[in-house]
Amino acid sequence: MLNYQDQDSLLKLLSTQLHQDVTCYAFGGNAMMFYGYKDETKDVDILFETLDERDEFIRILKFLGYSEISAIKIYVPEKLKDKHAPIMFKRDESRFDLFVKKIFQTNLSPKMKEDVFAIHEYKEKHTLTIKVLRKEQLVILKAVTDRVNDFEDIKTIVAKDQYFDWEYLTDEVLWQAAHGDGWVLLDVEETMQQLKKYVFIEQKWFEKLYNAR
Amino acid sequence: MNLKNQEELLHTLEGLHTIETIAETLNITTQSALNLITKLKRQQYVTVSGKGKTKRLYKITQIKQRPRVPGMFDIINKYSPHMKLNPWYDHQVHGTYGPEEALIDAIQTQSFRVILASLHLFRHINNWPKLYQLAKQKDSWQKIGALHDLAKLYFKIRHLPQKYQQLKTKKKYYIIKEYPTKETKFQPITQKWHVNIPFRLGDIQKTIGG
Repeated sequence: MLNYQDQDSLLKLLSTQLHQDVTCYAFGGNAMMFYGYKDETKDVDILFETLDERDEFIRILKFLGYSEISAIKIYVPEKLKDKHAPIMFKRDESRFDLFVKKIFQTNLSPKMKEDVFAIHEYKEKHTLTIKVLRKEQLVILKAVTDRVNDFEDIKTIVAKDQYFDWEYLTDEVLWQAAHGDGWVLLDVEETMQQLKKYVFIEQKWFEKLYNAR
Repeated sequence: MNLKNQEELLHTLEGLHTIETIAETLNITTQSALNLITKLKRQQYVTVSGKGKTKRLYKITQIKQRPRVPGMFDIINKYSPHMKLNPWYDHQVHGTYGPEEALIDAIQTQSFRVILASLHLFRHINNWPKLYQLAKQKDSWQKIGALHDLAKLYFKIRHLPQKYQQLKTKKKYYIIKEYPTKETKFQPITQKWHVNIPFRLGDIQKTIGG
């Protein structure tokens, strides 16, 4: 498990080893720690825009003693057939899930790029820039990755945030569906149905998704 | 206090409070409220503003308020006395970060207000070689030169060394895309640096507090 201080130290350490600037997007437990939603995590989910940047990141992870593991027991098998499935690295109790360009079929949308919650730059000789996605995006991506504990994380985000923007979430889901994501509508609708047991969600947001099908 | 109770407590208290409003909301004594705040502060759920004789305000949230390191918005707000920015994302830089870096980042935002407020950073630029190197990496030295000359019209700032005033190219730039210089007062700067300045005199007045 990584806590906030561990994550900070690890990212600083990673940045000292960089041979080029690397920019990436955080959306897993690590993103939730940046927000303050949780204190520790074992999954660090990162999305890169280019293969080059991911390769550079992998080089450093290997240097720090992380080794590649199989994703079979962690993700739903049918999702792992997708060409945008992650490469995973593990050391002790911490695990990195590294995606490029897409999270399975979900794109790095213009809104994801523009509306980030935070930007953390780790500056050494080169800079590691971590862009933390908005909470609505975190919920969508956690619904898509659908691993053990992902639903618990979604519940935490939605329950603890009185300003959760369902309109923003549904707009983004529709954009993703219109741009080739065949799973997002089903995944998010299923998650919202489960969430209804814990938080109030207006029916109109469900209908907005149904009308898009 | 168990975890469930603490969650309910934070849900009840979320927002801005004085010690009296906390005591009143929870129907406890002021001393108990102070003890509670101390505990929540240790757990990072509370930040305090107000020192000395100023009434203390407690910001309580359901999520932890992580310690921050300064980023672009913090540096600009620190040095811009009249025009303050309301950050639309949380920018933090872990490592060396000062007015030189913040100025370069401000130009990259292409935001009218951010660039306008960042003019005050020129009063705190000490390291011209560093600024020149950083600007060159982002292809924005001419923009820096133009903004420097603009700032010089209104504030007392350090002199830009002559060697950095030589233009290597005559490429035309915009501080903000498609916003040409309209103020005749700024035309000489545009001609010198080949950079279009989007601001009007009224905009500058806002940042100098006129």
